[in-house]
Amino acid sequence: MTNTATPRPAEAQRRAGRTGPAAWPYVVGFLGWLLPGLGHLVQRKYDRAGIFFVSVAAMAGLGIAMGAKLYVLPFGEGQGMFVGLLHVLAFLGDLGAGLLFFLGWMAGFGRDYLARASGDYGTVFFLCAGLLNLLTVLDAYDIAVGKKD
Amino acid sequence: MHLLAQPLVLSHFQALALFAFFTSAVFAVISHRTWRERAKEFLWTFLLFVVVGVGLGWVMYLFSR
Repeated sequence: MTNTATPRPAEAQRRAGRTGPAAWPYVVGFLGWLLPGLGHLVQRKYDRAGIFFVSVAAMAGLGIAMGAKLYVLPFGEGQGMFVGLLHVLAFLGDLGAGLLFFLGWMAGFGRDYLARASGDYGTVFFLCAGLLNLLTVLDAYDIAVGKKD
Repeated sequence: MHLLAQPLVLSHFQALALFAFFTSAVFAVISHRTWRERAKEFLWTFLLFVVVGVGLGWVMYLFSR
Protein backbone atom coordinates (compact mmCIF):
# COMPACT_ATOMS: atom_id res chain seq x y z
CA MET A 1 0.00 0.00 0.00
CA THR A 2 1.31 3.41 -0.91
CA ASN A 3 2.04 5.87 1.87
CA THR A 4 0.06 8.96 0.94
CA ALA A 5 0.74 10.93 4.12
CA THR A 6 2.40 14.28 3.57
CA PRO A 7 6.03 13.97 4.67
CA ARG A 8 7.46 16.48 7.11
CA PRO A 9 9.81 19.07 5.59
CA ALA A 10 13.00 17.37 6.76
CA GLU A 11 11.74 14.00 5.60
CA ALA A 12 10.69 15.42 2.25
CA GLN A 13 14.07 17.04 1.88
CA ARG A 14 15.82 13.77 2.69
CA ARG A 15 13.70 11.82 0.23
CA ALA A 16 14.41 14.37 -2.44
CA GLY A 17 18.11 14.06 -1.72
CA ARG A 18 18.45 17.76 -0.95
CA THR A 19 20.33 17.62 2.30
CA GLY A 20 22.91 20.21 1.38
CA PRO A 21 26.64 19.65 1.03
CA ALA A 22 27.80 16.20 2.11
CA ALA A 23 30.02 17.66 4.79
CA TRP A 24 27.23 19.73 6.35
CA PRO A 25 26.08 17.14 8.92
CA TYR A 26 29.65 16.73 10.11
CA VAL A 27 30.13 20.50 10.33
CA VAL A 28 26.94 20.70 12.37
CA GLY A 29 28.16 17.90 14.62
CA PHE A 30 31.51 19.60 15.10
CA LEU A 31 29.87 22.93 15.95
CA GLY A 32 27.52 21.20 18.38
CA TRP A 33 30.46 19.55 20.08
CA LEU A 34 32.46 22.78 20.18
CA LEU A 35 29.73 24.77 21.92
CA PRO A 36 26.61 23.08 23.31
CA GLY A 37 23.58 24.01 21.21
CA LEU A 38 25.55 25.61 18.39
CA GLY A 39 24.78 22.69 16.08
CA HIS A 40 21.08 23.38 16.58
CA LEU A 41 21.49 27.14 16.41
CA VAL A 42 22.96 27.02 12.89
CA GLN A 43 19.96 24.92 11.86
CA ARG A 44 17.58 27.50 13.36
CA LYS A 45 16.37 25.25 16.14
CA TYR A 46 16.59 28.09 18.61
CA ASP A 47 14.52 26.57 21.40
CA ARG A 48 16.50 23.34 21.48
CA ALA A 49 19.78 25.22 21.16
CA GLY A 50 18.91 27.33 24.20
CA ILE A 51 17.87 24.42 26.36
CA PHE A 52 20.93 22.37 25.44
CA PHE A 53 23.30 25.25 26.02
CA VAL A 54 21.81 26.17 29.39
CA SER A 55 21.65 22.56 30.61
CA VAL A 56 25.13 21.50 29.54
CA ALA A 57 26.80 24.76 30.53
CA ALA A 58 25.05 24.75 33.90
CA MET A 59 26.14 21.20 34.63
CA ALA A 60 29.71 21.92 33.59
CA GLY A 61 29.75 25.16 35.58
CA LEU A 62 28.32 23.51 38.67
CA GLY A 63 30.89 20.75 38.31
CA ILE A 64 33.75 23.23 38.17
CA ALA A 65 32.31 25.21 41.07
CA MET A 66 32.10 22.05 43.16
CA GLY A 67 35.76 21.28 42.52
CA ALA A 68 35.62 18.80 39.65
CA LYS A 69 38.75 17.05 38.55
CA LEU A 70 39.22 17.28 34.78
CA TYR A 71 40.91 14.31 33.15
CA VAL A 72 43.48 15.24 30.54
CA LEU A 73 46.56 13.90 28.82
CA PRO A 74 48.98 12.39 29.69
CA PHE A 75 47.17 9.40 31.02
CA GLY A 76 48.08 8.09 34.42
CA GLU A 77 51.72 7.13 34.51
CA GLY A 78 52.53 4.31 36.83
CA GLN A 79 48.88 3.42 37.27
CA GLY A 80 47.51 -0.01 36.62
CA MET A 81 45.81 -0.84 33.36
CA PHE A 82 42.32 -0.68 34.89
CA VAL A 83 42.83 2.78 36.38
CA GLY A 84 44.44 3.88 33.13
CA LEU A 85 41.39 2.69 31.21
CA LEU A 86 39.09 4.60 33.56
CA HIS A 87 41.25 7.67 33.01
CA VAL A 88 40.88 7.33 29.24
CA LEU A 89 37.09 6.95 29.50
CA ALA A 90 36.83 9.93 31.86
CA PHE A 91 38.97 11.97 29.46
CA LEU A 92 36.70 11.11 26.54
CA GLY A 93 33.62 12.00 28.57
CA ASP A 94 35.09 15.32 29.68
CA LEU A 95 36.19 16.03 26.12
CA GLY A 96 32.54 15.82 25.08
CA ALA A 97 31.96 19.22 26.69
CA GLY A 98 34.03 20.77 23.89
CA LEU A 99 35.10 24.34 24.45
CA LEU A 100 33.86 24.29 28.06
CA PHE A 101 36.41 21.58 28.79
CA PHE A 102 39.30 23.44 27.15
CA LEU A 103 38.35 26.76 28.73
CA GLY A 104 38.03 25.16 32.15
CA TRP A 105 41.40 23.51 31.84
CA MET A 106 43.14 26.60 30.47
CA ALA A 107 41.67 28.68 33.30
CA GLY A 108 43.39 26.35 35.72
CA PHE A 109 40.39 24.45 37.01
CA GLY A 110 40.26 20.73 37.60
CA ARG A 111 43.98 20.20 38.14
CA ASP A 112 43.78 18.68 41.60
CA TYR A 113 41.65 16.04 43.12
CA LEU A 114 39.47 17.52 45.84
CA ALA A 115 39.09 14.84 48.48
CA ARG A 116 35.54 15.78 49.44
CA ALA A 117 32.14 14.54 48.41
CA SER A 118 31.48 17.81 46.59
CA GLY A 119 34.60 17.26 44.51
CA ASP A 120 33.38 13.83 43.45
CA TYR A 121 29.97 15.23 42.63
CA GLY A 122 31.62 17.98 40.62
CA THR A 123 33.65 15.46 38.64
CA VAL A 124 30.47 13.52 37.82
CA PHE A 125 28.59 16.70 36.92
CA PHE A 126 31.27 17.72 34.45
CA LEU A 127 31.56 14.23 33.02
CA CYS A 128 27.79 14.05 32.48
CA ALA A 129 27.81 17.50 30.90
CA GLY A 130 30.23 16.12 28.34
CA LEU A 131 28.15 13.00 27.74
CA LEU A 132 24.92 15.00 27.42
CA ASN A 133 26.63 17.25 24.91
CA LEU A 134 27.56 14.22 22.84
CA LEU A 135 23.87 13.27 22.80
CA THR A 136 22.97 16.73 21.56
CA VAL A 137 25.62 16.39 18.86
CA LEU A 138 23.94 13.22 17.63
CA ASP A 139 20.58 15.02 17.68
CA ALA A 140 22.00 17.90 15.63
CA TYR A 141 23.51 15.41 13.18
CA ASP A 142 20.17 13.61 12.80
CA ILE A 143 18.46 16.90 12.02
CA ALA A 144 21.13 17.76 9.45
CA VAL A 145 20.75 14.45 7.60
CA GLY A 146 16.94 14.68 7.71
CA LYS A 147 16.20 11.87 10.16
CA LYS A 148 14.55 14.35 12.53
CA ASP A 149 13.05 17.77 12.18
CA MET B 1 45.68 23.62 46.51
CA HIS B 2 42.47 24.07 44.60
CA LEU B 3 41.94 27.12 42.42
CA LEU B 4 38.59 27.84 44.03
CA ALA B 5 39.03 29.36 47.46
CA GLN B 6 35.71 27.95 48.55
CA PRO B 7 34.27 25.18 46.36
CA LEU B 8 30.51 25.10 46.12
CA VAL B 9 29.13 22.60 48.61
CA LEU B 10 25.70 21.17 47.93
CA SER B 11 23.77 18.69 50.00
CA HIS B 12 23.29 15.23 48.52
CA PHE B 13 19.68 16.00 47.73
CA GLN B 14 20.46 19.36 46.13
CA ALA B 15 23.08 17.74 43.91
CA LEU B 16 20.64 14.97 42.99
CA ALA B 17 17.86 17.42 42.18
CA LEU B 18 20.07 19.64 40.03
CA PHE B 19 21.52 16.67 38.20
CA ALA B 20 18.03 15.26 37.60
CA PHE B 21 16.69 18.62 36.43
CA PHE B 22 19.27 19.32 33.71
CA THR B 23 19.62 15.72 32.57
CA SER B 24 15.84 15.30 32.31
CA ALA B 25 15.56 18.51 30.31
CA VAL B 26 18.04 17.29 27.70
CA PHE B 27 16.53 13.79 27.55
CA ALA B 28 13.01 15.18 27.14
CA VAL B 29 13.90 17.61 24.36
CA ILE B 30 15.92 15.02 22.45
CA SER B 31 13.42 12.21 22.66
CA HIS B 32 10.12 13.95 21.85
CA ARG B 33 8.82 16.24 19.18
CA THR B 34 6.06 18.32 20.73
CA TRP B 35 6.39 20.52 23.79
CA ARG B 36 3.52 18.75 25.50
CA GLU B 37 5.24 15.38 25.13
CA ARG B 38 8.51 16.91 26.22
CA ALA B 39 6.96 18.39 29.35
CA LYS B 40 5.46 15.04 30.31
CA GLU B 41 8.74 13.25 29.63
CA PHE B 42 10.66 15.84 31.62
CA LEU B 43 8.40 15.53 34.66
CA TRP B 44 8.39 11.75 34.52
CA THR B 45 12.17 11.43 34.10
CA PHE B 46 12.85 14.01 36.80
CA LEU B 47 10.54 12.25 39.20
CA LEU B 48 12.12 8.87 38.49
CA PHE B 49 15.63 10.24 38.97
CA VAL B 50 14.72 11.69 42.36
CA VAL B 51 12.62 8.78 43.60
CA VAL B 52 15.13 6.13 42.51
CA GLY B 53 18.03 8.18 43.87
CA VAL B 54 16.43 8.62 47.27
CA GLY B 55 15.32 4.98 47.26
CA LEU B 56 18.82 3.73 46.52
CA GLY B 57 20.12 6.01 49.26
CA TRP B 58 17.86 4.31 51.78
CA VAL B 59 18.83 0.87 50.49
CA MET B 60 22.51 1.72 51.01
CA TYR B 61 21.72 3.03 54.48
CA LEU B 62 20.65 -0.49 55.47
CA PHE B 63 24.19 -1.74 54.78
CA SER B 64 26.08 1.27 56.09
CA ARG B 65 26.83 -0.19 59.52
